[in-house]
Amino acid sequence: MFSWLRSRKYEDVIAGWTFLAPAGTILLVFLVAPILAALWVSFRDWNGISPMDRSNFVGLENYTALLVDKGIRQSDFFKALKNTLYYVLGVVPTQTVIALLLATIVNQRWLKGKSFFRTSYYFPSITSSVAISLIMIWLFQKNGLINFFLGQIFPVFEGLNWLENLNGVIHLFLGIFGLNARSVPPWMTTEKILGLTPWDWISGPSITLLSIMLLNIWTTVGTMMIIYLAALQDIPAHLYEAAAVDGANSWQTFRRVTLPLLRPVTFFVVTLGMIGTFQVFDQIFVISSGGPAKTTLTVAWMVYFNGFKNSSMGLAAATAFVLFAIIFSLTLLQRRIVETPSEL
Amino acid sequence: MYRAFAFKVALVLGLLALLVAACAPAATPTPAPPPEATPVPEVVELQLMGWSSSAAENTRLQQMIDTFNAQHPTIQVTLNLVPEYDTTLQAALAGGTPPDAFYVDSFRLPDLAGAGSLAVGGGRIEASGDFYPSLREAFTYQGDFYCPPKDFSTLALQYNTAMLEAAGIEVPTTWEELRAGAEALTDAEAGVYGLVLPADFARWIVFLYQAGGSVTDPDFTQMTINTPEAAAALEFYTSLVLDGFATTPSEVGAGWPGEAFGQQKAAMAIEGNWMVPYLEDQFPDVAYGVAELPAGAGGQATMAFTVCYGVPADAAHPEESWTLVNWLTGAEGMQQWTDLGLAMPTRASLQEHWLGQFPDLEPFLAGAAYAHKWQFVPGFGDVLNAVNDNIQRIFAGQQTVEAALAEIEAVGNEVLAR
Repeated sequence: MFSWLRSRKYEDVIAGWTFLAPAGTILLVFLVAPILAALWVSFRDWNGISPMDRSNFVGLENYTALLVDKGIRQSDFFKALKNTLYYVLGVVPTQTVIALLLATIVNQRWLKGKSFFRTSYYFPSITSSVAISLIMIWLFQKNGLINFFLGQIFPVFEGLNWLENLNGVIHLFLGIFGLNARSVPPWMTTEKILGLTPWDWISGPSITLLSIMLLNIWTTVGTMMIIYLAALQDIPAHLYEAAAVDGANSWQTFRRVTLPLLRPVTFFVVTLGMIGTFQVFDQIFVISSGGPAKTTLTVAWMVYFNGFKNSSMGLAAATAFVLFAIIFSLTLLQRRIVETPSEL
Repeated sequence: MYRAFAFKVALVLGLLALLVAACAPAATPTPAPPPEATPVPEVVELQLMGWSSSAAENTRLQQMIDTFNAQHPTIQVTLNLVPEYDTTLQAALAGGTPPDAFYVDSFRLPDLAGAGSLAVGGGRIEASGDFYPSLREAFTYQGDFYCPPKDFSTLALQYNTAMLEAAGIEVPTTWEELRAGAEALTDAEAGVYGLVLPADFARWIVFLYQAGGSVTDPDFTQMTINTPEAAAALEFYTSLVLDGFATTPSEVGAGWPGEAFGQQKAAMAIEGNWMVPYLEDQFPDVAYGVAELPAGAGGQATMAFTVCYGVPADAAHPEESWTLVNWLTGAEGMQQWTDLGLAMPTRASLQEHWLGQFPDLEPFLAGAAYAHKWQFVPGFGDVLNAVNDNIQRIFAGQQTVEAALAEIEAVGNEVLAR
């Protein structure tokens, strides 16, 4: 009856699945099952405290509260999304460019003490982000080192209250030209688009969020550098030799040979950076708890707050799924854009 | 092809079944227990869960548990102090394996009681008439008294004795005196302020009550925060900062008001009993006094921050859990606990004994008579955030008092209507 099991083909299949079973089981139990459970919760009014089955099915209510219905949940969500977007747009390009720059430098043959630089750039990435955040609080205090050095360089600088400064950098920039909440057309500060006024939307990251962005760039650049470094060392030397024979200078070599060959790695680095920054949480948790004036409220922080501090686990789960949808679609979009040209 | 697919499906299902079987309890039938009663009474094991505080408090609590265990041979309690308390407790409650007794903050009570996770204490709480009424109320939700308060702290005024003397100022007892005093104590050149005020609802709220205002109606059906009284309170609080007589902690490089006060960058602060061990530990040289909060147009008011010992609704050993909780909050247990001099006894009968030991802290305890509870409805965190958000924006000059109160009222009514 089971003679077919003995055939070569099925032996392979059985062996394959057997080898897969341990890892597969772990994935199912600790990854797939919780994700499905969270999806289920996102359609319920679960408070996160009483047993899950005592909650009620509420359909799309959690999603509409976030995205459609006017109210504090909608405005908080879009405020969080706005802050997160500024965060991603600030951190990802900057850290990618710096990482590439550092990798290129560290990859030079003439550089002495390479491993020293490699280690020191990579070090922040392997340090606990909580510990780093605590040190950052100390550095960025009103009477901290950052203000001290800036004061030494620019004697007129009075010292910023970095960690409790809700002014948006774009607002500050516009302020130089005399544009502020009182001088812009009234509709800018009264009409609301998705819970926020147009003036709020263009605030830019607050000084506090900017400080956290700097911290994040500094800690992640090392990881990205290592990835770029590996890719740079993978580029065959004969391509550079050919370029040299053709008379290309070093910039042309970098622009025409190195960069195109790094394309898949750049996609990887940007995607990794994007996913990481969209989910920024621990630095916010340690440094600002979403404040001042909700300018460091991020989507992931909102998930935590509603799930564990505000008895709204259903809403938190829905928020997490909206965030997932955003990250997923942006990654797909980015793949379209960066896709390696086939003629190479 | 089809069979290969069917096989794969079958295999996956089989694996899943194995997994489920492995997780399920063993199917072997347990032998029926012997009918005769065991002569030795069984020992019930209980777990008490709380958050970790200072080393002194953790040690003292363990000593109390040891005393309790020695006095109750049939109950053995283990103390479990956890970091990230709310998350851990929530997971334990939702998972159906709650600890047998645990800390409940009064602000958190509506969340837990509303979810049906807490047992109503009611008549099981011994000598409940002895607790201060304001504290009983802090653990009463929709008419039911849930759990006995273990200790409490109130907000009072701390003042730097030397700085007040140098400026020739009496300890303020009214809003006018507080403002005038803060102005006189401020030396902007030297970076010294009269008062330190955070952008925090939990501090502004005492001014709201002192002005005769309120947050909601007694039944939590509607916000009552958009009133002239509330406007006066918010105006008073924020103008102290905007006029430069008070500072926020971060503006002077401090993490919280206590630090600014200890570093003598602020001459006065409005904090609770936790200031006392902190200053003793970090700034032993700063001489300071404690006074009751200045009164506003609506009289005296302060806040009581308190924590109780809760028993879960589906406790495994309710009798023993209540024995433990009653002992800890009873005369003997509470006296052992509050003799540390940190938080105050919640029983009026222990007042004299405590004051005999800590006469300087009398203003904190006096607050019990007119303290308000720090307790609202489930999901009130949104309102808390809205208030903090608006105070921060007023401090930054980006919001007006009127618009702030209107916004807080709207958010609050939305939360109350949920």
